[in-house]
Amino acid sequence: MAKGEILAGYLAPHPPHLVYGENPPQNEPKSEGGWEPLRWAYEHARESLDRLEPDVLLVHSPHWITQLGHHFLGVDKLSGKSVDPIFPNLFRYTFALDVDVELAEACCEKARARGLVAKMMRNPKFRVDYGTITTLHMIRPQWDIPVVGISANNSPYYLTTEEGLEEMDLLGKATREAIEETGRRAVLLASNTLSHFHFQEEPPLPEDMSREHPFSHEGYRWDMRIIELLRQGRTDEVFDILPQFIEEAFAEVKSGAFTWMFAAMGYPKLPGKLHGYGTVIGTGNAVMEWNLAEAGMARAEAAA
Amino acid sequence: MTLAAAFLVPGSPLPYLRKDNPPWLGLAAGYEKAARALAAARPDVVLLYSTQWMAVLDQLWQERPRLQGLHVDENWYEFGELPFDLSIDTELAQACIENANALGLHSKGVDYDAFPIDTGTIVASKSLDPEGTRRFVLAANNLYHDFETTRRIATIAGEAASTQGKRFAAVGVGGLSGTIFREEIDIADDRIASDEDDRWNRRMLSLLEKGETQEVDRQCAEYVQAAKVDMGFKHLAWIQGATGGRYYGARIHAYGPTYGAGAAVVEFKV
Repeated sequence: MAKGEILAGYLAPHPPHLVYGENPPQNEPKSEGGWEPLRWAYEHARESLDRLEPDVLLVHSPHWITQLGHHFLGVDKLSGKSVDPIFPNLFRYTFALDVDVELAEACCEKARARGLVAKMMRNPKFRVDYGTITTLHMIRPQWDIPVVGISANNSPYYLTTEEGLEEMDLLGKATREAIEETGRRAVLLASNTLSHFHFQEEPPLPEDMSREHPFSHEGYRWDMRIIELLRQGRTDEVFDILPQFIEEAFAEVKSGAFTWMFAAMGYPKLPGKLHGYGTVIGTGNAVMEWNLAEAGMARAEAAA
Repeated sequence: MTLAAAFLVPGSPLPYLRKDNPPWLGLAAGYEKAARALAAARPDVVLLYSTQWMAVLDQLWQERPRLQGLHVDENWYEFGELPFDLSIDTELAQACIENANALGLHSKGVDYDAFPIDTGTIVASKSLDPEGTRRFVLAANNLYHDFETTRRIATIAGEAASTQGKRFAAVGVGGLSGTIFREEIDIADDRIASDEDDRWNRRMLSLLEKGETQEVDRQCAEYVQAAKVDMGFKHLAWIQGATGGRYYGARIHAYGPTYGAGAAVVEFKV
């Protein structure tokens, strides 16, 4: 078996508003559009992903919150209707997905080997969280690539931010080992928003873009600082200031997906490609890509 | 006010799904006592607030007349599934929404097929009303609402029930100390995660039992911080608001661990 590789990683946030704005047939509520710059950013990311032809998409979502360890979807097929408990008026989505259980099991085993608590979710009636579904729809609406779904243990919330992110670093490295050993050509999806302060009331017409703007100047400034560093490939500096960013901008990357993805990729000093930035109820969202295959860094030893 | 009963109960599915596990026997038995007390109180409606129904925009209220389905808990899926069948008092829910909005507490109803009903709501409703004969008003836990705001919302709910001439029970669903074990344990050895958490839980339960409401208020913030109490103990705010503070003590039907976290079944004397 050929050694597996990570083809690319995407920062792929999950506001359900983007699905709502797009009006896909799977989603019951219909809109007049909205959040176009972010949706167009995802269109670019979709084209890029299409060219990569990966075997599997791995997504880490902050909305499957697990208290005891890091969990992996472990059922071949999962389907159902996902209603967002926060925005049920926007997101009522009928989905069906295939899980790469073999890779999920390998990730789980590798995580355990690194001392993490890790579990396989085997209940076929399990309700997949809307963060996972939104990110997967936005990056690949055809649903024709198997996935590995990973929960957010939210260890940074139980421990200190730094301790929690250290766990995510281990989880990322375990994920990379599993991908390599199973021979998969994989794409990683970090389902995270950047600055996460948001408005607490919804406009009468949710897609009224005259009401959409950054929640605060400080949050926007933080987002631009992080994005600019990422665009320049200054990865070390990003991770140096990540705890401060999390603290001051209430950044959702605290839940770990961003660190997991970069750890798996070997923290490449590769300029990230910004497909677009936009706010959703005031939160900052960037769709970004690190195309390791294109940069000749898909092999772990090259990226490390 | 036609207050019939009030309970503070846990939302963890563990004692519900594994009643046979020795450390959870007490909580399961406590729930049975509370169910009998609720049946004896004969409320027309149960006002239920679960810390696990989380909202971030507005105060949400369930408005779908009947909720049926099957839920699998996000954490404890290996212990079984949670079927549910709940009837909602939509007339009262609508009044809660209107009254809360009139007072500047932005509220709205949810009425959607397949809306995800949270584990705490299912565990509490099924445990307290195993025959499924009661009607409920379900209120969400807005993460940005503090203790006092939650108390105000509960007051609105209690007053709305009284205005409609309904005998009501108030139920706050949530845990006590919030630290769970971060490593897998043998569930037969479950216990409160630390002695300090245990002391704090017992101290607060003792104050509730004796009806020392002022002392509860005085120590609540410190308890929340010291024991990382589930969602800032806002489920107690729900009880305080819905009852108008009119209870003179409590019966502690059960106290025990749920994977390290504290949990209790408390029936208030109203």
